[in-house]
Order: sequence, then C-alpha cells, then structure tokens
Amino acid sequence: MEIIIEEISQGHKLLGRHKFSNTEITIGRGYHNDIIVSDPHVCSEHLQLRFNGEHWLISDLDSVNGSYLEDSKANVVEHQVRSGDIITIGKSQIRLVFPTHPVAASIAISPFESLINLARHPFILALSICLFAVIAGWIINLNNVKEVTLTQMLVPTIGLTLGFVLWPAGIALVSHLTKHEARFWTQVGISFIFFNLMWLSDIFENIVHFNTSSNFSLIWLIAIIPLALAFCLFWLNCYVGFHMSLMRRNLVSLALVVLLFGGSFVIQMSKQPDFNPRPQFNTTIMSPVFLFASSSNIERFVSDSSKLFQQATQVAQESKE
Amino acid sequence: MKAIFALLLIGFSTLSFAVEQAEEIFKQLAPSLYQIRLIDKASGEKSSIGSGFQISSDGLIATNYHVISGFARHPHKYTIEYLDHNGNKAPLSLKSVDVINDLAIVQRDVTKPMPFFHIAQHAPTKGEELYSLGNPHDLGMIVVPGTYNGLKNESFNDRIHFTGSVNSGMSGGPVVNKNTEVVGINVATSGNQIGFLVPHDKLLALYQAYQHQAPENIEQQMATQLMQNQQKLMSTILSSDWQLKQLGRGVIPTIDVPFIRCWGESNSDKTDAQIMAAVANCDLDENTYISGDFFTGSLEMEYRYMESDKIGSTKFYHIFERQLNQVAPGNKAGKDDVTEYQCHHDLVMPSNGNMKNKAVFCTRAYKSFPELYDVLYIAISVDHEQYALLSHFTISGVAQDTSLAFLAKFMESVSWK
Repeated sequence: MEIIIEEISQGHKLLGRHKFSNTEITIGRGYHNDIIVSDPHVCSEHLQLRFNGEHWLISDLDSVNGSYLEDSKANVVEHQVRSGDIITIGKSQIRLVFPTHPVAASIAISPFESLINLARHPFILALSICLFAVIAGWIINLNNVKEVTLTQMLVPTIGLTLGFVLWPAGIALVSHLTKHEARFWTQVGISFIFFNLMWLSDIFENIVHFNTSSNFSLIWLIAIIPLALAFCLFWLNCYVGFHMSLMRRNLVSLALVVLLFGGSFVIQMSKQPDFNPRPQFNTTIMSPVFLFASSSNIERFVSDSSKLFQQATQVAQESKE
Repeated sequence: MKAIFALLLIGFSTLSFAVEQAEEIFKQLAPSLYQIRLIDKASGEKSSIGSGFQISSDGLIATNYHVISGFARHPHKYTIEYLDHNGNKAPLSLKSVDVINDLAIVQRDVTKPMPFFHIAQHAPTKGEELYSLGNPHDLGMIVVPGTYNGLKNESFNDRIHFTGSVNSGMSGGPVVNKNTEVVGINVATSGNQIGFLVPHDKLLALYQAYQHQAPENIEQQMATQLMQNQQKLMSTILSSDWQLKQLGRGVIPTIDVPFIRCWGESNSDKTDAQIMAAVANCDLDENTYISGDFFTGSLEMEYRYMESDKIGSTKFYHIFERQLNQVAPGNKAGKDDVTEYQCHHDLVMPSNGNMKNKAVFCTRAYKSFPELYDVLYIAISVDHEQYALLSHFTISGVAQDTSLAFLAKFMESVSWK
C-alpha cells in the first residue's frame, strides 16, 4: 500500500511531500535514507517504516533524541500508523497519510479574483499609485498656508506615498515568512485602490458635513464608510496573502478594524479633558462649488438655537444634583 | 529769578498744606477704617486682603465685592475678619452685595455706638481734591491725595476716574472729600496714577436697600442683579443705533454707544501676502467679576474679511476653516461655574437673501445662576469663491430671550454690499 510522507514545520506548514510505493522506508540524516532530513537533532539512521502486508509499522532506530507521536512522551516502537499521524523527530516533524486520506472540499475561485488580478495589472497599479500621489500632494498643498512650489511638494508627496507602501509590503513580508506566496504587487495594487477610496470617502464626508445642519440625524452613517472600507481592505489583504477559512478571514479583518479604530478612539477619549471650556461643533467649510443644500432662514436658525438653552439648563441641573 | 522762586515757594506751601490736611483727615477717620481679610479655614492663613470702612454706628462696614468674593462663593471654605487701627481682630458676617458695582456690606459686633463715615449727598466737581484711604500691599493704612476727573466715559456702569495711585489692597477703601464725606470706593487701577472708583450713590442705594430689607440669600441676590444688569445692558444695545460699516466687500454692524469700542487691523501693507485680510472687533470695555477666573457681562464682536485671487477656492476655504477651530469663550469660567457648550450649526441666509452663511450658535448655562448663559456665534459666508466674511460674537451672562434677540438682529445686519 502506498504511503505519503509530508515534512512539515512546527506550525504544520507543508515543507515537502513524498509518495512511496515500496514496503520499507528509512528516514534520517544519512544520505542513504529515503527521506534525508537536515535537522542536526536527527540521527543518521533515525526512523524506519515497514509495511507488513496489512499495516504500516513505524519504529525508532535507537536515535539520540527519539521519535514521538505528537502529544505523546513514549518513543515509537512498532507503532501502527494511522492516516494523519504526526511524528516528531529531533526538532522536525513528519506527517504520515494514506492515499485514502480525505481532503477538504475544493474552494471555488471567488469573483474577487478577477478584481484582484486587475489590481496588479501594471497600468491599474501605476494609475492608482499616481492618483494617490496627486491627492496626497494636493492635500499637502491645502494644509500649507504659504505658497508651495511643485518641487517643495514633491519630497513630502513621495515620502507619504512610500510610507503607505509599507502596509502592503509588511503584509507581503508576513505571508512570505509564513510560507505563503508574497504577492507583493497584488497587495500594493489592492491597498492603493482602497487608500484612494478612503480619500474619496473623506471628501464625500466633508461635502455631507458641509451641506447638512446639526438637525441632520443620520450623520453617523457617514462615519461607517471608512470602517467598511478598512474592513474590505483587510479582508482582501488576508485573501491574497494567506490561506484561511472565510470565518477566520472575517474575524481577522474585524479584529484589525476594531484594533485600528477602537485604538484611536480610546486614545482620543483618554485625551479628553474632564471639562472642555471650548465649544465643540462641526467646522467643515468648503468652496461654494460643493454647496448643494438650500439655506435655512434666520427665524429657523434662531428657533433651533433656542432649544440649546433647555439642554444646557438640564445639564446644569443634573450636575447640581 | 525772584518770580520763579516765589512760584516755587507757593507750590511748596500748597503741597505742605495738602499733606497736613491729609494727615488731619487720616487721624480723624482711622478708627472707622479696617483691613478686611479672608481667612482660609483649612490653613488658618489669610488668602486675600482689602480695605473697608464703617458706614453706620451699629457696625456695618462697606468694602468691595471682589475682596470677599471667595466667601460669597464658598462660605464653608473661608471666614471674613477685620483688623482695626489698634490691631484688634474679630470676625465679620456678610450682609449684602452688589456684584455689578463690586460692593459688599459686612457687619462687625459693636458694644456701643461707634464713629462712622458719612456718605456724601452730591457728586464731587471736576478737579476737586479727594483723599483715597486704604491698606496697599498689607503695608498699613495710608492716605493718597488725588483729583476727581468725572465719570469714565466708556463704562456702562458708572465709574469715577480718579487721578491718584490706587494700589491693590486699597480695594474697598473709601475716597473722601475735604469734609470727610465718602464720594467713592476704591475699586480698580490701570496704573500710572489712573484709578477707578465706584460712585457714592451706588453704595448709598445698596445701604438703603439693605436697611429696607436684608437679602435672604447672597447667591440669589447676585443672580437677580446679574439678570437685571444684562436686561438693562442688552435692551440699551438692542435699542441703540446699529451703524453699518463696510469691511472689504461686506457690510458689518457696529453699535453706536460709548461703552462699546471698536478696533481694526489689516495686512494691506504686505503686498506679497497670499490672502488679504482685514479684521474689525468691538467690545464692551468692562465686565463683572464673580470669582477667580470667572468674569461675566462681557460682549465682543469680531469681523474678519478675507480675499484672495492668488490661491484656489478650495485652499482659500480650507485656510478659513481653521479660523473656526480657534473659537474660544470670552471668559475663563471653569467646571464649577458653567456647563460645557451645546452647539447648533446650519446654512443660513438672511431675509434680504444676499449672503449665504455657515453659522454656528453655542450656549452654556451657569450652574449657580439660573437662566443665565454664555452664548457664542460664528458664521462664515460660503457664497463667493475668492472672498468671504467671518462674523462672530460672544456674550457672557445673558438670558435666553435677550441673546436670541441679539442673534437675530446681528445675523440680519451682516451682508454683502
């Protein structure tokens, strides 16, 4: 009966896979073995597998460090192999499977795949990075009260763009280190598309703030957009960089969103003084080009404002009690 | 030469006459003069000092409200005591205050009728010689001669302009004429021989009101006074002539009353500036002290016109947006005094329809004085690409109806030319 021997890492990631049809297999550091393990804690002749016509039996060959079935302290001697057994030799691990071992159901190629492939297309990639750089430069210019020349803008713009490349690069590095495919350019492509979407949602948020009054009670909906975008970005990052189940991918993305936004929220709250003498209000002012809403008249504004007095009085009374 | 000598001699003799007279006045009045001290109960030490003077034979003593404000706001934290010319100390009780005119009446225990200061019946004449008494910087009682220079023009609540050194610690001390009648009470100084006094009639009114009926609760008395004062101030302002002035392409209101003064500034000398800016602001030149950093009764208006043909509209408004973030209240009231601000914002167009504003109105309530608020308004015009006008006001210690009436009138008055 055929047997498949997989060399796996401590984290059970596959390092190598061998299929044998002979009835005796030896594993060790010596070059005469069927599977040669380079781990210095493995003996030259370490482990032997033998098919007795009915079962595969595995035995340690009096090695220095022994061979153990996972989660067991006893050295394996004439152990009857079951499909899926993991055996530790030295500091390495091997997994034994029979050809009849069940495999997980096939994962259908998701429709995202085409989007993902589009994202790494050199033209799209260049376009989204350029768009990002242009918006970044424009915002740097906006925030600078003084006149800014193109050359003055160039350095911070490139700096900012390179700074944002760190995120996809970091993920690619992590996937590389965890023995996944790095797919650096795909990560860059996806990330920059979402960075641009976040710029756009920011501008959209400003336009909404500019056009609405404090009577508009659905303003919190606007705050959800960046959260949703961040979730999608992290989800796709995970999808591209790592093989994980849908459930796990959702959880990881959600955790990252909570960590990022929750963290900055907590930092903000911790800086909040016990009493703020300054008024807090939405200060968004934009060019008249972005003004679409109609204006209230003064009577309406005064009557809306008069409601504030009751609120303030109530707060004052509550604090007295 | 002889003539000059003679002139100098005359000068000398009048000076020595004035000093002699001052000494005489001081001797006569010393038994009715006190140093008023606020003693912190926990540490047992004095936390503030001022002066005071007896105004009745049964032990009523007049001083400034700000001398005893600590006690008025936190009666459990402090005690008030006096120190007389013989060095005797004894506790005082607070009887009545006039927070608007910065006056207070306290009482000492007396065993027999005592000498006291008489309050004048008439205001002094301009140029009249007056004598200010008090205990500056805890150095002991002194007398400072000076001159009456009429009432201060720019103040809403009357103050006497006194040419003479009024120093801290002399607050609450009397200012008397040659007949030793009280014509004013030391209250403030702006240095360099310019002092301010509360006129005698304010003290007389407070004293008579107290004799008629003593207030039951000092905090309530203050609340009533603050409410009445804002009513008087705001109705004067609202019924005054609002003059429309031009600022850039905008038209802004200023209020034509002597106690509101306006100032202006612009960067028109800087030809290379990205944005041309002109600023005008008007404010009420006085406020009412309540305690520590808590002042009220102030009014401030500010207008800022900005224009630029050198930068894009988006950047222009982005820079303007930052000015909104710099809005701060007109006073430094703290957590114990006021609530946090509640704000409302909207896009607003006045009835003439020629200006579109992004407007914000905020208010906060006073915790100790019901129905009094600080209000704040700021608006930026958002209807022209290359120029905009910011209009802003803050008023502290106003009622809802007067502040909203002011708001409506102010918003209607700001427009484009």
